[in-house]
Amino acid sequence: MTMVRLEHVTMRAGSTTLVSDVSLDVAGGSWCTIIGPNGAGKTTLVAAVAGLRDLAQGTVSIDNERLDDLSERQRARLVAYVPQHPEVPAGMTVEEYVALGRVAFHGVMRPPSSRDRDAVTGVLERLELSAFRRRDGASLSGGERQRMVLARALAQATKVVVLDEPITGLDVRHQMDILEMLKKEVAECGLTVIATLHDLTLAGLFTDRLVLLHRGEVVLDGPAHDVIRSEELGQSYGTTLRVVSVDGNDVVVPVRGDTHR
Amino acid sequence: MLTSPPSSRRVLFVAISTVVALGAAVVCGLVIGPTSIATSRIVGDVLSHVGVGHSTLTWTQSSIVWQVRAPRMVLGLLAGAMLAVAGGTYQGVFRNPLADPYLLGVAAGAGLGATLAIVNIANASSVPTWTPLLAFVGAMVAVTLTWIVGGRSLHSTPATLVLAGVAVSALFTSAQTFLQQQSSTQSIARVYIWLLGSLGTSSWHSVEIVIPYVVLCVVVCVLAGRALDVMSVGDDEARSLGLSVRSVRLLVVGASSLGTAAIVSVVGLIGFVGIIVPHIVRLLVGTSYRRILPLSVIFGAAFLVLCDTVARTVMAPSELPLGVVTAVIGAPVFVLILSVRRMGSS
Repeated sequence: MTMVRLEHVTMRAGSTTLVSDVSLDVAGGSWCTIIGPNGAGKTTLVAAVAGLRDLAQGTVSIDNERLDDLSERQRARLVAYVPQHPEVPAGMTVEEYVALGRVAFHGVMRPPSSRDRDAVTGVLERLELSAFRRRDGASLSGGERQRMVLARALAQATKVVVLDEPITGLDVRHQMDILEMLKKEVAECGLTVIATLHDLTLAGLFTDRLVLLHRGEVVLDGPAHDVIRSEELGQSYGTTLRVVSVDGNDVVVPVRGDTHR
Repeated sequence: MLTSPPSSRRVLFVAISTVVALGAAVVCGLVIGPTSIATSRIVGDVLSHVGVGHSTLTWTQSSIVWQVRAPRMVLGLLAGAMLAVAGGTYQGVFRNPLADPYLLGVAAGAGLGATLAIVNIANASSVPTWTPLLAFVGAMVAVTLTWIVGGRSLHSTPATLVLAGVAVSALFTSAQTFLQQQSSTQSIARVYIWLLGSLGTSSWHSVEIVIPYVVLCVVVCVLAGRALDVMSVGDDEARSLGLSVRSVRLLVVGASSLGTAAIVSVVGLIGFVGIIVPHIVRLLVGTSYRRILPLSVIFGAAFLVLCDTVARTVMAPSELPLGVVTAVIGAPVFVLILSVRRMGSS
């Protein structure tokens, strides 16, 4: 069943077209990753899926509801968003930060209900953050902080989570931790994930489906294995890429001194 | 700056201390003045108003307490509360530690309005009675203009609004300077006295004028604390969490500006309260606006009444402009805050 539907989405900044006529259907309980070189329009596109950007043309629907018909609060109960560089205010505890994910439920005029508090406690336990609940969120390490941001998104209890480069700046172990947590949510809770990733190997390893975006247009869309091994991938990135198999997993390796321009 | 989350015991201690400071300020406001009246007699008079005992004050002493000191103290409480909470609100909305309502043109607009009133009464012996009205109109025109120029654009950001505020302020200040240049020395002196702020002309009538605005605007600002906490993660993230950022910004900027314009129109331009009070409170209870805003209301009220007590007693029988006292106390405190922040971040 289609959970996220983009129909002929075009987005502009002044006279520049950032995303051009993109149509996608993403099934519920699946993980779709948008890949592409810098400037391809990935961040713009996922921000549109989160309902945070105006469209020049087209529509975005989640669970059969058009986002432009909904208020911010209604949208926040359908889709959660993790930006590339989340802001973590100094002095806010991990628990308070994660509890922001419940604002769409209790509003800003009322304190969180016991149900909201239980939801936050549950997410903190699931993501192994309970020990940090009274810590200042800004004092956490990069990996812990990203887990906290993910916890906030999961506290929203939405069917869809949109993540823009969720593993940027993390070491390999923490990258794997974050992606494994997401994969678990997809497998066990039926979460639908739409993410952007620069690491093509990890994108291929964790994702059901890859969408290759180049200059705002979808160049290729298909199962991760096929897109990773396609000719178009290297062409879009302007470099030669080799794919080698390690223990049955595709590993994408760039080749020096051989570029496509 | 206290960036680690405060314990609830610490917050409670600060809240109680702030209320005690407010009580002390109220007592100072009623008891201290050029005319010496025993505290016990004033307390006796206050109690007699609620049916306990009898007042021993003479008619003149009672008039000094109830027609001079009390309205001045109440207006000081209202002005301090409003300026402090408006400053804290602006800092939250714009995520800028130096923001206060003067940023969007309230000061420049009120200054122009007041100057218009003062210089157009060439031979008036004092500040014209309709100065507050024109100051209020000037402040609201400036903020509205700033909002139209910088805030209504679909892609406007807090920075756009601040830049528009700077431009509008510059325009209004230029007009004010031109008017002053064309007026008499006597008028210029009166304009400067007004610009430096004072509670010297307070009366129950001025309290009646501002109290509806201040109560309404303070309530709106304090209730916005949770929304401002959400906005501390940035506009996009706040929207993704379900907050209508534009509506909240319009509401709290409107309330802060309206309340400040009402206060400024009556007491003139009193600087620093909107910046230093929320910062001191932040130092004590952390960064959550749910704590900063209500405590700023109480602390700001106490701070301004105490500053006014200094202003009217330190050089008695003449008075120091209140804006000078808040700046003299505010500037070193502000430098101290910056030093603490620098040490905290190094």
